[in-house]
This record gives sequence, structure tokens and C-alpha cells, in this order.
Amino acid sequence: MTDKKEDTKNRAAMLKSLREKHKETVEKTQALLKHNQSIRKQIRQAMQSGPMTVPEVAEATGLPSDRVLWHVTAMKKYDLVREVGMSGEYYQYELAQKENQ
Amino acid sequence: MAPRTIKVDALVVGGGIAGMQSALDLADQGYQVALVEKQPSIGGKMIELSKVFPTLDCCSCITTPKMSAVAHNSNIQLFTYCDIQSVDKQGDGRFVAQVIQKPRYVDIETCTACRQCEYACPIDLPHPFDQNLGVHRAIYVPFSTAVPQKALIDIDNCILCGKCERVCPVGCVDFTQQPEELAIEATAIVLATGFEITPTDAKAEYGGGKLLNVVNALTVERLLAPTGPYGHVLRPSDGKEPDSIAYIQCAGSRDKSLGVEYCSRICCMYAIKQSMLISGALPLADIAIYYMDIRTFGKGYDQFYQTAKAMGVQFIKGKVAKITEDENQNPIVRVELIDEGSQVVERQHDMVVLSVGMVSKYDPRTIYDVNVAGDGFVDTPLTNVSPCVTSRPGVFVSGSAAGPMDIVDSIVMAGAAAAEAAAYIQATGPNGHGGGRSIAAGEEKELAHA
Ligand SMILES: Cc1cc2nc3c(=O)[nH]c(=O)nc-3n(C[C@H](O)[C@H](O)[C@H](O)COP(=O)(O)OP(=O)(O)OC[C@H]3O[C@@H](n4cnc5c(N)ncnc54)[C@H](O)[C@@H]3O)c2cc1C
Repeated sequence: MTDKKEDTKNRAAMLKSLREKHKETVEKTQALLKHNQSIRKQIRQAMQSGPMTVPEVAEATGLPSDRVLWHVTAMKKYDLVREVGMSGEYYQYELAQKENQ
Repeated sequence: MAPRTIKVDALVVGGGIAGMQSALDLADQGYQVALVEKQPSIGGKMIELSKVFPTLDCCSCITTPKMSAVAHNSNIQLFTYCDIQSVDKQGDGRFVAQVIQKPRYVDIETCTACRQCEYACPIDLPHPFDQNLGVHRAIYVPFSTAVPQKALIDIDNCILCGKCERVCPVGCVDFTQQPEELAIEATAIVLATGFEITPTDAKAEYGGGKLLNVVNALTVERLLAPTGPYGHVLRPSDGKEPDSIAYIQCAGSRDKSLGVEYCSRICCMYAIKQSMLISGALPLADIAIYYMDIRTFGKGYDQFYQTAKAMGVQFIKGKVAKITEDENQNPIVRVELIDEGSQVVERQHDMVVLSVGMVSKYDPRTIYDVNVAGDGFVDTPLTNVSPCVTSRPGVFVSGSAAGPMDIVDSIVMAGAAAAEAAAYIQATGPNGHGGGRSIAAGEEKELAHA
């Protein structure tokens, strides 16, 4: 038991020192994460109303449509949205289960 | 501590189709082979392709078994995610390569590629395998058919939050991993370092890299692949299913202004292939190929071209001067139509594909001390006699590292390079300098020809 505790403590200390060592890239990536999270939030909010195409999400959020497509592609890959048929020349996407988000 | 030393007969550098085939051909003759690949997976460009000309075989279906064969061959030791730092010749005439195994931060022995780490990771990054249209996470399995099928961490884009480590069911995430040095001793070296495509933005007037719906042909391979980023052929600006697609031939070859004066040999064929595949995926789409001349030199290749024409692909003789876009990001192609009185017209398409050429990316001179030709590819001074022989005895070249070539030619050359390397090992190995050929003694006699 104490061994396990010790181990957890050591690993936490190790991660901390690694974060220090990679400070520059960690900070850069944290900024990217924050930026992406805010975009995701806007996309999820827009998609609350039901299935939408990429241009529709772009219109609703004011985000460039290529960025929306990239994020929807990412969300689709990790099962956060799913494709539900087509509307004209565009696929429609809807949010997957809430607990996934 | 002295680095771990691996003793083999042949060192193959590069795990694309050419390197894999050379390694297999040597291993199947009983030679011990080390295959060193700089990427986290073997497969090269071929594993990125959708289907291949001229047979339209599914590329994954023919490449993946080769990749597994390499991984499972008991005469091949596979080293992925490695950099070769230097190569020296020892007193006994054998080469010794100093290699750095980069840390994956994942224990490759225990990782089962369950991808729970990937799902837990909060960082989404553009995936170069999908020409940046798809995504991977900071910890990820390179792609669905990667060999080895193991995760790795992109430490430069990781926040070290430790989520992956906490969800891993086998405890294989290891942030303490360090680069590992190893030495590989070999009698012969086969260079199979492959090619790169001409940069998409090489010709500023075509707008590649700037106009979102002007893409390179490798991107289209990913759009057509079932494992591709969208799972459909969609254009990158807004996900629209394109109705009208144009190919611009020689967009990176036969072009003095780019310093690429040669023909890349594959672009006519892959453009024809892709146009046929798009016709299958989007039966209503119009496809136009703007070309200077069509070169279909291989076995069955011209038939392939005729089939595409019969399928309704439009071949338009003309040199494209410029590509711009309208307010809806539709590319506008300005072209001189040679067969229509050389009139200059502007045509709007939904997506334009640049048929980019093949260029040499890796310069082997410093490490391998071989010459390169004027085009940047590895020089083969005896092209007509021994096309795999380089300027340095014991170093052979395989596949597109020697110049633009398709898969068929790469495989043929890979076999030839293996044969040349085997002959060299025979001559300078056990019967000469007493090198490291490691087959059973009885068999040795049979194979010896010197
Ligand atoms: C868009 C497109 C479509 C194509 N379609 C077809 C087709 O349908 N049919 C066909 O026959 N051909 C096709 N080709 C051509 C085909 O891709 C090539 O013929 C083939 O990939 C060449 O294989 P290779 O092993 O020589 O090179 P590569 O595939 O480039 O492999 C080289 C390998 O070496 C590794 N490497 C490079 N440098 C080093 C180093 N210093 N140390 C260690 N490893 C290194 C690389 O990471 C890579 O894994 C197509 C090409 C393109 C661009």
C-alpha cells in the first residue's frame, strides 16, 4: 500500500519535472487546447438544434467552414458526432450521446 | 555503456514497398536483415494510397500483408522510429551504422493498441498521414494498419496531463523513456529511402497551399481511401461533395522553373486512376484532366487510359497558366485550349487536383558517401548493366530512391537490389572477409556462387 502511494507520488513528481523540462511546448499546446475547446463549445451549441451541415454550423457560429469541417472530422473520428444522411451536396452531422462530450 | 550491437548481413534503410521487398527477398534467401524506418510505421507512401493502377487493387489489402510479412519474418529485425546518425566502414570491410531509437513513450512490448489512451487524450492535431485533413491525438496509433500496431506520444504536442497513463489497462505509457543508441553491423546496405511529392505550393500561380480547394494528388488518395479523413470525397473548404473536378498535369514535373525538368512517370497514371475512382464514388461528377501529353508506358497502362476515356473522363490538351478562386472558394482555371485554336478560357470547378511530381527528399551523401545524380536521386553509374549499384561498393539502391518510379518498377528493382546485395555478401562475406552471413552451413554451399 505504501509502495503504491510512493509510486503515485513519484510519478506525479516525474510528470511535474517533465512539464518543467518541456515548458515551452506544453504551454504552446495548452494554448491550442484552450482555443480548440472554445471552438468545440460553439460547434456543440450550434448543433444542439439537430442535424446540420458544415456550412450551416459555420453560418451559426461565424467560424470559417474549413475549420468547422476539420473539427467535425475530429469529433466524428472520436465518436462525438455522427453522420446522418445528406442535405443537398452536404453531409449532415449530429451530436453523439451527451455523456461522450 | 556501449550501445547494443546488432549483427546482420544486410541493412535496409527505408520501409516503403521497395525496402520491404528488398528485405523480404534477402530474408527468404536466408540472409539476416535489419530494416530501419524513420517513421513509427513501415509502409511508406504506398500504404497511404487508396487503390493502385493498373489493377485497381485495394492498396491496404496488398500492402498490409507485406508489412506483416516483414514484421513476422524471423530473418528480419525491424527498427521503426529510428534515425541513422552515421555509417562507417570497419577494418573487416563491414559497415557499422550508429542508430538512435527515438522514444515512443509507450512500451512497445506491452501496448495492445487498444487506443483507450487516444480516446482519453484531449489534444487533437492535424494528421500528416491524411495530408492534415484528418486528426490524430497527442498519443496515437499512427494509422489503422500500422506495423508495428503500437501507440506513441507526440511529445512536442503533449501537455503531459497523464490522462493516457491513467486509462492504459496494461500500464504501457512511460514518460521516462529516453532515446536509445544502437549499432548495426552489416556487410551490405540497401538504400530504399523513397521520394517526396513536389511541394503543393511550389508553383505560386496554381495557388496550392493557399486556395483550400486546390489540393495535391496524395490528398485525393486519402479522400478516396475507405479509412480517409471524411470517409467520402468531399472538398476541404466546406465539405461539399464536388460536382466538377479538374486535374492539372505536370504540376511539378517537366518544369524548368521548379528545377524539376524530368517526367515523374506516375502522374498521368495516378490521375487517370483517381478519375476512374471518383467516377465510381460520384457518378454524376464531371472530371477534366488538363494535360500536355499523356504518358502511359507500362504494361496494360494504355488500356487503362482508353477505359477512362470510355467512362467519360474528359482529356483536355492545354497548359494551365493560373488558378484563382471565386467568392465561394470555387477554383477558376485559366487555360489555353490547344485543340480549340489555342483560345484562352477560364473554367470554374469545385475542386482542382495538382498532379504533383516525385522529387528526392533524402540526401544520402553525408551518411552513406554515395553520389547523387543531377536530379537529386541516388546516382546509379551502371544504369544499363546493374541499375541498383551505387557509386560506393556494398551500398545498393532500391525503388524510388533511385528516381521516379511506380510500384511495379519499385518491386522489380527491390528484387534486383536484393540479388546484387546477396552477391556482394557472398563475395565479401563468409567466403571473403568472414562477414556475418548467418545461414545453416549446408545451405551455404548451395547458395555460394563465387
Ligand atoms: C498520389 C500518388 C499516387 C500513386 N499511385 C500509384 C499507383 O496507383 N500505382 C503505382 O504503381 N504507384 C503509385 N504511386 C507511386 C508509389 O507511391 C511509389 O512508386 C512507391 O511508393 C515507391 O516506394 P518506395 O519504397 O520507393 O518509396 P516510399 O514509399 O517513399 O518509401 C520510402 C520509405 O523510406 C523511409 N525513409 C526515408 N528516408 C529515410 C531515412 N533517412 N531513414 C530511414 N527511413 C527513411 C520513409 O519514411 C518511407 O517509409 C503513386 C504516388 C503518388 C504520389
